[in-house]
This record gives sequence, C-alpha cells and structure tokens, in this order.
Amino acid sequence: MSAGHEAKISAAGVSVFYGEKQALFDVSIDIPARQVMAFIGPSGCGKSTFLRCINRMNDTIDICRVTGTIAIDGADIYDPKIDPVLLRARVGMVFQKPNPFPKSIYDNIAYGPRIHGVAKAGSQMDEIVETSLRRAGLWNEVKDRLREPGTGLSGGQQQRLCIARAIAVNPDVILMDEPCSALDPIATAKVEELIDELRERYTIVIVTHSMQQAARVSQKAAFFHLGNLIEVDDTERMFTNPRDQRTQDYITGRFG
Amino acid sequence: MSDTTHGPDRKERNAWFEADARLKRRHLADKRLRAYGIAAIVFALGMLATLVGTILITAAPAVTQTMVTFEVEVPEGSVDPANPSGGSYQTMLNASIARIFPDVDTPRELRELRQLFSNGGQYQLRDKILADPSLIGKTVSISFPMSDIGDQLHKGVIDRNLPPDFRRVNDTQIAWYDVLVERGQISSPLNWGLLFNADSRFPELAGLRGALVGSFFALLVCFLVSFPVGIAAAVYLEEFAPKNRLTDLIEVNINNLAAVPSIVFGLLGLAVFLNFFGMPRSAPIVGGLVLSLMTLPTIIIATRAALKAVPPSIREAAIGVGASKMQTVGHHVLPLAMPGILTGTIIGLAQALGETAPLLLIGMNAFITAAPDSMFNPSTALPTQIYIWADSPERGFTSRTSAAIIVLLGFLVCMNAIAIYMRKRFERRW
Amino acid sequence: MSATSLLAIVLILSLIGYFWGRASAAGLKRGGQGMHSIPAYHGYFIALSCGIPSFLLVLIWLATQNTVIDTLLIAGLPAHITDGVETSRMSLILSEIKSIAGGRIFGTPDPALIAAAERYNALRGTASLAMVVSALAVAIAAMSYARSRVSPEFRARNSVDGILRWILIVCSILAILTTLGIILSLVIESMAFFSRVPVFEFLFGMEWSPQIAMRADQVASSGAFGAVPVFWGTIFISAIAMFVALPVGLFSAIYLVEYADKRVRSFVKPLLEILAGIPTIVYGFFAILTVAPFIRDLGTSMGLSVASNSALAAGGVMGIMLIPFISSFADDAISAVPQSMRDGAYALGATKAETVRQVLLPAALPGIVGGVLLAVSRAIGETMIVVMAAGLMAKLTANPLEGVTTVTVQIVTLLIGDTEFDSPKTLAAFGLGLVLFITTLALNIVALQVVKRYRERYE
Repeated sequence: MSAGHEAKISAAGVSVFYGEKQALFDVSIDIPARQVMAFIGPSGCGKSTFLRCINRMNDTIDICRVTGTIAIDGADIYDPKIDPVLLRARVGMVFQKPNPFPKSIYDNIAYGPRIHGVAKAGSQMDEIVETSLRRAGLWNEVKDRLREPGTGLSGGQQQRLCIARAIAVNPDVILMDEPCSALDPIATAKVEELIDELRERYTIVIVTHSMQQAARVSQKAAFFHLGNLIEVDDTERMFTNPRDQRTQDYITGRFG
Repeated sequence: MSDTTHGPDRKERNAWFEADARLKRRHLADKRLRAYGIAAIVFALGMLATLVGTILITAAPAVTQTMVTFEVEVPEGSVDPANPSGGSYQTMLNASIARIFPDVDTPRELRELRQLFSNGGQYQLRDKILADPSLIGKTVSISFPMSDIGDQLHKGVIDRNLPPDFRRVNDTQIAWYDVLVERGQISSPLNWGLLFNADSRFPELAGLRGALVGSFFALLVCFLVSFPVGIAAAVYLEEFAPKNRLTDLIEVNINNLAAVPSIVFGLLGLAVFLNFFGMPRSAPIVGGLVLSLMTLPTIIIATRAALKAVPPSIREAAIGVGASKMQTVGHHVLPLAMPGILTGTIIGLAQALGETAPLLLIGMNAFITAAPDSMFNPSTALPTQIYIWADSPERGFTSRTSAAIIVLLGFLVCMNAIAIYMRKRFERRW
Repeated sequence: MSATSLLAIVLILSLIGYFWGRASAAGLKRGGQGMHSIPAYHGYFIALSCGIPSFLLVLIWLATQNTVIDTLLIAGLPAHITDGVETSRMSLILSEIKSIAGGRIFGTPDPALIAAAERYNALRGTASLAMVVSALAVAIAAMSYARSRVSPEFRARNSVDGILRWILIVCSILAILTTLGIILSLVIESMAFFSRVPVFEFLFGMEWSPQIAMRADQVASSGAFGAVPVFWGTIFISAIAMFVALPVGLFSAIYLVEYADKRVRSFVKPLLEILAGIPTIVYGFFAILTVAPFIRDLGTSMGLSVASNSALAAGGVMGIMLIPFISSFADDAISAVPQSMRDGAYALGATKAETVRQVLLPAALPGIVGGVLLAVSRAIGETMIVVMAAGLMAKLTANPLEGVTTVTVQIVTLLIGDTEFDSPKTLAAFGLGLVLFITTLALNIVALQVVKRYRERYE
C-alpha cells in the first residue's frame, strides 16, 4: 500500500455501483491526518457515497458494490480479513440528521464503549462519558440531566451528542455527512467551532453543501462532480484559485 | 485482524489485538441470532407443512369410495306397485348377498357378512324401484358403498397381516371380501358422495351437501347485511361525520369489536336472536346474522382505508362542478374505492366461512340428514360439520373430516386468491 | 303471505313510487316550470319515503311477533296448566302447543292444549294478515304524502341527501348497538346467574362442576361454580401458547427484517401469514390428529404419563396459530424504527445482533408489547382449538402434561345441545362470557393505546 507519510486515508481507483448504476467513478485521493478535509460539490455528485465507503456503511445496502482500494494507515479496509465492525470503531460517523438512540444521554455515549468492551460500567465509564461530552462541548449543558432521554435535547445539542457518541469509542477518523444541514445558524456555529477543536486529535472528513462552511472549517477540500473527483487542494487555494473550470463555476455559484 | 503490519501507532495495534477474543464472541452472538431467526422460521413453516401434509395424507383415503355391485332380484309381489316405498328391500338385498355366499347360514356369520356393506344399499334399491316401477319382477343391478370397515379393508387402512385381535375385521370377513374382489364386484370410483350426500351417521354415506348449502345461506345473509351496512357506516365516518365524542366512541368501538372473541358473538346471538327475538335455532339466517356482526368491523375498517386512499382532489373536482357531498361520494369516491372495499369484503367473508364457535352456540352443530331448503331451516355449516365429524368415533370419519377440511381450505384459498388478484389488478397509485 | 314476498311487494311499490315521482316532476318541467331538483330526485324521494317506513315496520313486527304471540297464548291458558309452573316448564308447554298447531301430535294431549294450539294458529293468521295490511297501508300512505310534496320549489335533492345521511348514521350506530347488545345480554344473563350463585363464590371458588346441576332431583343439584380452576386453565394454556409463539414470532420477525434478503422475505412472509388464515377448527383437528398423539407417545417413551388432552398439545397448537400474529406486529414495529437508528449503531461499530438487541428492540418495544397483548387476548378468547384438544375437567395443576379446561371450553360445553335458559348451568356460561369479554376488552384497549402512542412517536 502506498501510505504517504502524512496520509491517514488513501483511496485508489474507487468506483461504486448501485445495482447497474455507477455512482462513483475511479476516485483516488489522499486524506491527511489531523486535518479537516471537506468534500464539496452539487447534490448527487457522489461525495456522500464516497464518504460512506470510508467506514463501509455501504455494506448495509444490499445492492451496493465497491471496487478499488481504500487504505487507512496503509491497511486496505476492503480486505476480506478486515472486520467492518472494528473498522467502524476506528472510523466514527456523524449523520445529516441527528440520530440519538431513544435512550438516556448517558447511555447514548456509553453505548459504543460498552459494545466494544472499552470500559465496563462504573467510574471508568463515567469518565469516558464526561470526557466525550466535554470534548463535544456539551458537558456543561447536560451534566445535570444525564439520565434524561437524548431525544429531549434541541437539534444542535442532539447533533453534538451524536458527535460525543462517536468520540466515545476513541476513533482515529470522524466522518461527517452534512452535519449541520438540519440545524439553525447558531447551532451550526457551535458545531463548526467544535469541528475546529476536534481536528487536534482526529482526522475529520466532512461533506458539506455550504461553501462558507467548507471555507470556515476545512484545511483541504475535494470537489466532486457527477461521480467524479475533479480537484483536491488546500481549501484556501481552491476557493481563491481553482484549477478546473467546473470548480470555478461551482464556487462562484453558476450551478449547484 | 491480528495483522501486525498495521499502522505504526502502538495504541491502535493494541486495539486490534485486544479486541480479538471479544470480537469473536460478538460475531458469534450475531451468528447465533441469525440462527435463531432461521430456526424460528423453519419451525413455523415446518409446522405449516406438517399441518397441511397430515391433513392431505389422512384425507387421501376419502378421495375414493369403495363400492360393491350386486344383482338383486325383485320378485313379483314383493313390492306393492301401488305403494312401492313399503317394500322390504333389505330382505331382497340380503337374499342376493346370500346367493353369493350360500354356505353362510348362522345368524352370527350373517351379521358379520352384512357388516361389510353399508345399510344405504336398501335405500338405493328403493329409489330405483320408485323411479321405475316396471323393474318389479326383474333383476336390478345396484352399486352401493361398502361399510366403514369394508372400505378401510379395501384401502389397506386395516392391515390384514395383523393378528385378528388387533384388527376390526376377522379372517372370515377378509375371505368374503376376497371372494367379492375376485368376482369383480368391488370397485372404487371417485367419492362424489362426499360433496353431494347430506350428513349421515354412517361415514360411508355421509357427505357435505347440507353443510355446503348451510354455509352458502349463512354467507349470503352475512354478505347482504354486512356489505351495505359496513359501507354505509364507513362512508359516514370517513366522509360525513363531524369530529365529536360520538364519532370517537364509534371509532374506538369498531376497533374493539374487531378484537372481541368470536364466542362472545355466539353468546350474543344466543341471547338476542334466539332467546329474545325467538328466531329459529340452528338456522343459517341466525348464523348469517351473527357472522355479519363479526364481519362488520372488518368491512368498515377496509372500506375506510379504501376511501382514505382516494385523493381529495377527486372530491374537490366533483364539488367544484356543483355536486352535493352525497353525489360526490356516490358518483366518484365510492366507485373509485370499490376494488379495495371488495377485497376487504372477500377477506372478511373468508374469515366468516371458517368461523366455528359462534355457530356452535346457536345450534348449527345439529345432526341433520337433509340439506336445508331455505335459510330458516335447521342446518349445519362447513366448519361445524367438520367439528361434528371430528368428534365422531368411527374411523371412517377421520379421513372424511380431513377431506372436509380440504374442501373448506379450498374455498378459503379461492376467496383469498380472488382478493389478491383484485388487489393486484385494480390497485391504483395516485 | 310470507315476510319475504311482503318485502318484495314493498320494493315493487317503491319502484313504482320512483317512476311516479320522476314522471310527475318531468311533467312539471315540460310544463315550463323551473325545478329546483332534477326529476330523478323526486323519484328517489318518493321511493325512499315509501320503502323505508314499511321495511322498518316489517322488521320490527317480525322481531316482536313471536314474543307477543307467546305472551298472549300464556295469558289465555287455563289456570290448571299455568299454576305454579316455572318458566323453563312453560317453554316446554309452549313448544308442545306449537307442535300440536303444526299438526305433529304425540299421544293424547290435554284438550286445553289443543284449544290453545287452535288459538295459536288463529293468532298467527291474524298477526301475519295484520302485518301485511299495515305494511302496505304505511307504504301507500307514505307514497301519496311524498307525491303531494312534488312541486317546482321542493328541494328533493336535499331531502334525499338528508334521508341518505340518516341511513348512514344509523348504520354506523349499529356498531355501538352490537357492543351494547353484547354487554346487555351478558350482563342480564349474568345477573340472573349471580342471583343464584354469589359473585364471590364464582370468582374465587376453587371447585367447578356445573354438570351436576343438570337435573333438579339429583343429589347436590346446586352444582359447584367456583371458576378459579377454569380461569387457571385458561391462563395456563395461554401461557403455553405464548411460550411457543413469542420466541418463534419474534425471532422470525427479526430475521425477516434485519437479516433476510428481499427475495427470502417476499417468499417467507406470505407463507407465515397463511398460518393466520387457517380456521381454528383446522388447528383443533390438527391438535387431536397429530400433535396430541405425538406428545403422548413422546412422553410415554420417556416414562411420563401424558393425558390425551394435555394442556401442552392445546397450548402448543394455539401457539403455532399465534406465530404470524406476533411476527407481523414485531415486523411492523421493527421496520418502523427509522433507518437513522440503524446507521447510528452501525457507524459506532455495532454488529447486527447488537443493533437489534440494544437499539431496535428497545425502540420497537411498545409496538411489540401491543402485539403481544393482542395475541394474549386472542389466546384467551380462542375457542375451537381448546374445545377439541383441551380437557373438560377443571383442574388446578401446573403440569402441562395433564388436561385442564378453559373458559371458552366451558361456555361451549355448557351451552351446546338443548338449553334451558334458567338453569344455573346455562347461565354460568354467560357469567364466564362476561369475564371473558371484560378481560379481552381491557387487553385490547390497553394494546390499542400502546400501539397508537408508539405510532405517534415516529410519525
């Protein structure tokens, strides 16, 4: 595997098919460690599809087929020896709509550590819950109601709860699929702030619709169009000086 | 998974290692749950197969009926031509049986011999003479069922290799039977009697005609009452009713009625229709009324669903051209909902056809040897007939019960097939 | 004239009314009048006004005629027949009179009875004549009144709509009437029962042997009506049924929703539903034909004594019947859990089993519980399987290899055959019926509430 020194994730020739239909064409990309990489592009361009390849969420869709290789730390995650269950413990994911389990806030966070046997119930678990909530910037808001259902929180809080839930299993990578599309501007700002803090510890890949968001949170950006990866670059450079005409058109708002 | 070439980070490598035993356990639990699921489905479908299989196997002997053919002399003077029904036909029949077995003379042996034949033979002979009195003085050939034991001997249900104490026919009876087979007097045609005879105490003569007619009448009443009333109630609740306490009450009521045990409807029929209104016991009309009360919620619920599926734009269009609410419903909404309503109705009627308990309570399990002429005559129904036969000790009834069940299931399959076909054929996506 | 032909005549009269009304309205229209409603509605109006009252009259008449005639007949009987006679004996006398009236005379009846029979025939003749006359009179009177209203201003369409709306309302009230009828008949007969057997003794008594009460002159003719063993048997058999149905139904639902691919699912699900469409009488026969002998042979081979009508056989077969019930409720409930819950769990690295156990099942629990409650209510009310496969003797035992009896079995055995309506034996059936109705109703209401709440949560 061609694991570049700083590349956490490196994909080579990834194509995705839904039944007969090809959704992604021969994507190759290196994603650096401990930075935020934004996938941008018009809707239906394959950016979410590619994101879901990185933790093999596409496995849960019967008709979906993936070819090519994706390596994390040099290990091909589509190797039959790799267990998607373990992979997903290392590659956490946050979804478009906050999806807390209908359980208490505490149990939402504790769920991952519990199934992976990271910690038993008790003070060790309490510690994990607290750390995760603190890192997600939610601790002060919920510390007095850890036993209340997670579904009772506001939308922004729910999304940060989901981020905390992902952090709790101590992943290397966090994938975020338009994490703010269901949130209001204030909640969005909080989540973006959080993403910026999280990059110290985690490699983050975020799919977003919003140019501004990509500009605010990401260091690197990848532009997808009609299932093809068009361009990868530093966010700043891409936004000021795109190399491809299509990127230029999209960033300047000609389509999308 | 314990691949040591993975990433350089020690912490990660440990995670891959440590999880190993635990991960195996977790995947094992996953496989276990999947296996439980498969086992559960195999169990359920296996039971279905066992049920259908055993019923089919036990019903198999009832497909044919073992018949015996005799030439019977009807001597001049043995029957009074003016009153042919008064003839002593059993004596004539016995005489012709005795002619084949001349050396059988002790009363015990004669009795054992006659045990091989159904006593329905004499009636068949009588009917022949009644239909054609000119046969008096001639030799008449009649073909009639063998008795229960004769039938089972022929079909091999009774194993002749068993020691005599373990079977219900003795050696002489088997010998007689063999003589009849040799003389070509035994035949086993298809058992049409099962469908076209009325009930009888003797399994070889018993048939489903009374039950089929009774069930037909009961379902007819059920349909005539529950179909219009169900549609009317559903139309009111869905299209007209204001949202108030009364309509809420009706709604809760209908949902609960659909889940009331069927036997409670039987108690209602007994107390109200028979006891209070003095309607005739065991009559299909009462059975039909009770069944219609049970079917009503099914039809109402199905009709409401079908009405809901008609898009509001249709109603708006009709009202827009000046139709009244009633016209809108009658001319547009109801016809569009009709396939759904009919599907629901057929499924409701299929349930009603299989319903037994309420019919038992209103006496539709009476022993009646003639098919009812009208819905006011006492009668059985298909499921109650099955109950009566299942309860009868004679061995021959076991296979007839299974055969009757197959008839019942056949009707149900047809009704459901029609319902499914209609749903597929007329289903409309708006 | 029979009621059927009378109804046919009423129908024909209504048809005549329709054409008459349409023709007269059409005549007015041709005369240049501006009509509010089209002629057909005038026709409908006359037809409905003519048909409905006389149709209702005939129904009510038929419903009450027998009771009225019987009362008149009893009132007219001489004292030496009616004196000191109980109601049960009275109904025998009545049926004797009726069979004499029908020409079926056995032995030499009391001359008073023959006279009564003649009176009975006369009453019936009068009654049916009166019915015909009054029904036709009502029909014709209503028709001419309705005809007199036909005029250009008359809003026939609105009147017809109004009449139809009332018909619809009456039809939907029928559902309430049915419930009311159930409650009234159960309560009234149960009151009669509880006036002989105290409620307390019925609900908490430990001895059940109602058959003793068959003849008044027998020893211990009062019978014993302590229903606890019967209740126990019902609970016991239902529990065995749920013991079979719950795991099988739940696991098959989990498999079908979460593990099976589309093809398997589309093939297995309808097959499972066939189990729900098989009439219970067929299950009952299956129980006595196959399952009970199998269990008995199996038990005997292990040196156990197994009753031929063991609770295990009846409950087990009932369980098979309930499998599709549980599985379809569980299936709906698990399918209704949003996909995002699954995604959330999978993204954390949960296996399918962990997702099911810790996320989907807790989320689907209310729906499943609702289904289970409905299934329990089914099991308690199920009749034919237990009538055929369970026992008649009320026994307080926890051994599934012995026979126990259930509420529904007792109702059927108490009421089957000829029944007199005031022996405690038959009335006891209504007492049991009342308990059964209340229990299942409570279970249904709770179950429907639970299911409804649950639906609201995800909609």
